[in-house]
Amino acid sequence: MGDVEVKALDGVTIDIIKGEFLGIMGASGSGKTTLLHLLGLLDDPTTGRIVIEGTDLCNLTDYEKTMFRLYKFGYVFQDYALVPDLTVMENVSLPAMLRKDRDDQKILDDSHDILKKIGLFDRRDHLPRELSGGQQQRVSIARAMVNKPDILFADEPCANLDSENSRMVLDLFREINEEMKQTIVMVSHEPWHQEYFHRIVKLGDGKVISDEINGHGK
Amino acid sequence: MGKKELKVAFLLALRSLQRGSRSSVILTVLIIGMCFTNMIFLPALFNGIAQSVSQQVIDYEIGNVLVSPKSGDRYVNDVDATLSLINGMPGVERATSHFSRGATLKYRQRVLGATVRSISPNDEKSISPLYTKMIAGSYLGDSDVGEVIIGKPVAGDPTIRREDEFQPSLGGVRVGDSITIEYGNGYTKEYRVKGIYYTGWPTADSAVYVTRTDMALAEGKPLTYADSIMVKTKPGYSDKFVKNELLEYGVSQKVQTTRDLLDKSMGRIMQSFAIMNMVSMIVSIVITTVVLFIIITIKTLSSRRQIGILKAIGVDKEVIMHNYGFQVIILSILGIILGLALTMLLAAYMQANPIVTPDWSASLYLTPMDLVTNSLILFAASVVAGYVPAYQVSREDIQSSMRS
Repeated sequence: MGDVEVKALDGVTIDIIKGEFLGIMGASGSGKTTLLHLLGLLDDPTTGRIVIEGTDLCNLTDYEKTMFRLYKFGYVFQDYALVPDLTVMENVSLPAMLRKDRDDQKILDDSHDILKKIGLFDRRDHLPRELSGGQQQRVSIARAMVNKPDILFADEPCANLDSENSRMVLDLFREINEEMKQTIVMVSHEPWHQEYFHRIVKLGDGKVISDEINGHGK
Repeated sequence: MGKKELKVAFLLALRSLQRGSRSSVILTVLIIGMCFTNMIFLPALFNGIAQSVSQQVIDYEIGNVLVSPKSGDRYVNDVDATLSLINGMPGVERATSHFSRGATLKYRQRVLGATVRSISPNDEKSISPLYTKMIAGSYLGDSDVGEVIIGKPVAGDPTIRREDEFQPSLGGVRVGDSITIEYGNGYTKEYRVKGIYYTGWPTADSAVYVTRTDMALAEGKPLTYADSIMVKTKPGYSDKFVKNELLEYGVSQKVQTTRDLLDKSMGRIMQSFAIMNMVSMIVSIVITTVVLFIIITIKTLSSRRQIGILKAIGVDKEVIMHNYGFQVIILSILGIILGLALTMLLAAYMQANPIVTPDWSASLYLTPMDLVTNSLILFAASVVAGYVPAYQVSREDIQSSMRS
């Protein structure tokens, strides 16, 4: 048995339009997460380009990519990925604390604002383990939003949640998208999630099968 | 790395220690503290022994500078002129001569061989603390004749039978008793015991002291010669300076500083101590380094996914590395503080309960420099041990970290 080259994605070209709620859907192994990681600068493509506002991100240094992720992107992961030893408030303000253009007061104000928005302001001094899965995911969204990113990437954010909490999280995404004009790119394999998306890109075997405006998306 | 990045790294480190496994933190601090104590205990004890022996030798045998007969001579001759010359030199507090004779002491039915040392009692006070070591009676005066002070082991204890004695004695001499001293030249005289002393230095304690006047009588001629001259230096003057002065001023005898003599007599012992100290220090450093390396490696390996997530949300690898670095710094500082506290407690205990042997008594000898040096060495070793795994894991690419 020799090494077998597997093309996770092959010849994928998509545009992300500012302000849209884009859903990337497809069966398991279709390349959804790989595409999200490439778009979010968490992985490097072997060939191809990722261009945001005219900047080819593939040419950035490791440090520049880190700063790009910090200043321009927000991430929500399926397992929430909160730092267990930090409180809700500390988790949310962590990315803001690293920004050179944020002073302590601004960090505090932004963190409080976003925590109020997600309805967990009164739980700000709790540790993640003291929250339910749905609450943890909302904290994760608050962390991703605290820096007011250009694009919010969400990798199957409802995978570990029951349907009630999933709907709560999706409603929150929709609210953020509509009220704050936040661009969101979300990976999902749940068919019922597509009702939230403006546009749906479906992948299969690493290729774009369809790229359609969703008539139901609001 | 800016101030903000360091602040975040420190926050992550602090929270990890505060809210992570408390038992792991306590155990790590305990290990570092124990290693620090182990690192410093043995050298401090050896230094304590060396200091104790050195101080006794200085106090009762040689002073700061010793003038002894030059090669081929038996005595330091013309001792009064030499003493007068030395006492007038800059840097010299006082000088005094010693002359000893072997003799047989007799008290009731007991007979004991001992060294009789002749001194100038008042000058001796400037050189040696012997006069402060009287446990019964009083110290000699310059004009005393026919009086002697004897060491406690020589005087003996009347309640201990001869066959049970650790070392032979006169079996219980008390102040005011008379003992007979028979010198090697046949001169015999009865002396009244004026005082009994105990210094803890066996050579001094197994001797008896008389005045130079008495020794001159025993010698049958004026005591113009001596075995040696002990010189005490003034504060602020080094032994070496005074030695050089003595030689420049024409003291034609053999002149040696304490250091010269101790290097000869204790050099090998000190070398052995130094080797043992080095081994003890290396073992402690290796244990601390390995323990911290393992702890941080386990921490980083079990947090690889979280490290990947932190990098994904824009936390720079330097922040992640310094997070673990700060954890090690905090742990090692706490460990060193614990080690310092344990060492000080041990030092205080041993000060109150020194290790006593027939030849020396010792407690821990610690200097601020020893404490600072050992703290810095252990701190540096800890930081290296912590930063190596932290550096490795922080350099891993995001995908590898997140997949783990």
